[in-house]
Amino acid sequence: MPRPDDDAPPAPFRPLLRQGARFAREAAERPILMFEDVYKSYRPGAPVLRGMNLVIERGEFVFVTGPSGAGKSTLLRMLYRAETVDQGRILFMGRDVARLTPESVPFLRRNLGVVFQDFKLVKSWSVYENVAITLEVLGLPTKLIRARVGEALERVGLQGRGEDPGGVLSGGEQQRVAIARALVGEPALILADEPTGNLDPQLALDILGLFEEINESGTTVFFATHDRSLLEVRPRRLIVLDEGKAVDVQCGVSPQFEDDYAALPH
Amino acid sequence: MISGSIGTTRRARRGMLREWRLQALSIFSLAVAFVCLGSALLVVTNLHAVEERWAHAGRASIYLKDTATQDDVESFRSALSRVPGITQVKYVSSGEARAEFGAEEVPIHPDLAALPVEAFPASIEIEVRPDLPDAELAAIVAKVHQLPAVEDVETYRAWTDRLASLVRGGVAASVLLALVVLCAVLAVVGSTIRLALQRRSIEVEVLRLVGATDAFVKGPFLIEGSTQGALGAAGAIGLLAMLFAVVRGRMDGELAALIGVEPSFLPWTIAAAMVGLGAVLGAVAAFLGLRKLVAV
Repeated sequence: MPRPDDDAPPAPFRPLLRQGARFAREAAERPILMFEDVYKSYRPGAPVLRGMNLVIERGEFVFVTGPSGAGKSTLLRMLYRAETVDQGRILFMGRDVARLTPESVPFLRRNLGVVFQDFKLVKSWSVYENVAITLEVLGLPTKLIRARVGEALERVGLQGRGEDPGGVLSGGEQQRVAIARALVGEPALILADEPTGNLDPQLALDILGLFEEINESGTTVFFATHDRSLLEVRPRRLIVLDEGKAVDVQCGVSPQFEDDYAALPH
Repeated sequence: MISGSIGTTRRARRGMLREWRLQALSIFSLAVAFVCLGSALLVVTNLHAVEERWAHAGRASIYLKDTATQDDVESFRSALSRVPGITQVKYVSSGEARAEFGAEEVPIHPDLAALPVEAFPASIEIEVRPDLPDAELAAIVAKVHQLPAVEDVETYRAWTDRLASLVRGGVAASVLLALVVLCAVLAVVGSTIRLALQRRSIEVEVLRLVGATDAFVKGPFLIEGSTQGALGAAGAIGLLAMLFAVVRGRMDGELAALIGVEPSFLPWTIAAAMVGLGAVLGAVAAFLGLRKLVAV
């Protein structure tokens, strides 16, 4: 069993060159994420998203909110291709996610980090194993995995906890492990689906702070929440899902947002 | 490639160790199924050895008519001694045959003591080279049969034919048992893998989310299925070997005297083939069990 806290200092964090990756200046200048006229419904006559348009630039931190059933989770699930769109396009780094073949979906997910409300940790695995799996899937050498997992755990404040079983951690710690798992592969985009939903307010703020730190290092963060207290304490770009469409409330908390948000059905 | 295989094997081992009770139950069930197949193969192997032994018994009995004179016998013995392939010629008179029978059978069946000496025809027992082809022996027998002093010739062919038929029956039974084992392996390993998949659904979901390919997710389960099959077969062979050692220790002498061949255990090639069959069947069963893999 490799140990995350071995004697050697961790190697510096370097971006991964993934299969098929090549540098293209024009691609680097495109928005990281574009929704173009996206429709999605689970039942006939009751669409969750109806003609949604949205553009997210590289390095942005975006909150997406809306009442329960507004389609926040659906939006995220379509992004990592757990759902398919009925109509329209979702362009991630210029590629239409909806048109990917099933064989290509794993390669899409290697460029994304996903964090859930229920953490989705394997309780019987250690903290180290839960984080390292992201890099094992990429086929990296054990030594490199060890160094990078150690660094990721340090970033989320869990240094020295690599050997702990996932099942004995508190809720906040489990979410930190889930965040470490999402960021250890250096994804271009991190999707967070109600990541503070199971945490108390103070822990929720701590976790939000972690996402902000990740964002400061250049990673785009797409943060779905209906926790109004989080939206109020952080001035960020906010997308409100309303009647199947995205309403963009730029630059976070504002008197106008207060009015808009209060007017939404809760 | 190599590091990927090592990683897959490591994850399979980790999964098996964490669910060792489930794995042990599965292996035991498979071992029971393989014991049936192994027993049938053991019987067939030994029957085949007996058949081989008697098919090349290298002897024949030439029964003489009551009218054959001592001169006939002498000239006959002399002629047979000169035939290429015949290594020994021995005359057994009616009285000697009666005495031999009496020594062997009368203590068991006293009623047979009353049989008259005429019931036992005189014979000439010949032994032929063990490597003498069946066709040559048949030609000798055909020529001997035409002689006027000869009543009948016994080459024990009918007995070996019956043995061969028994072996064929055993092979057919083994094939049937192999089919039963196939079904058992598919059912047991398939169920075990589905159960393991259900218990590890969150693990599979996580793997899917972090971008694992189908091969990456399924690999450890296939190794687990294959290992279960191989260990089940190996366990069955071990169990059979123990039983064989016990039985052989008690009955070896009697069996050898009865069938003329010492009973032997399964040759290592058959044992290895059984383990290989278990491994392949286990992997196939796991593959089939994984068809409805958790999709995220």
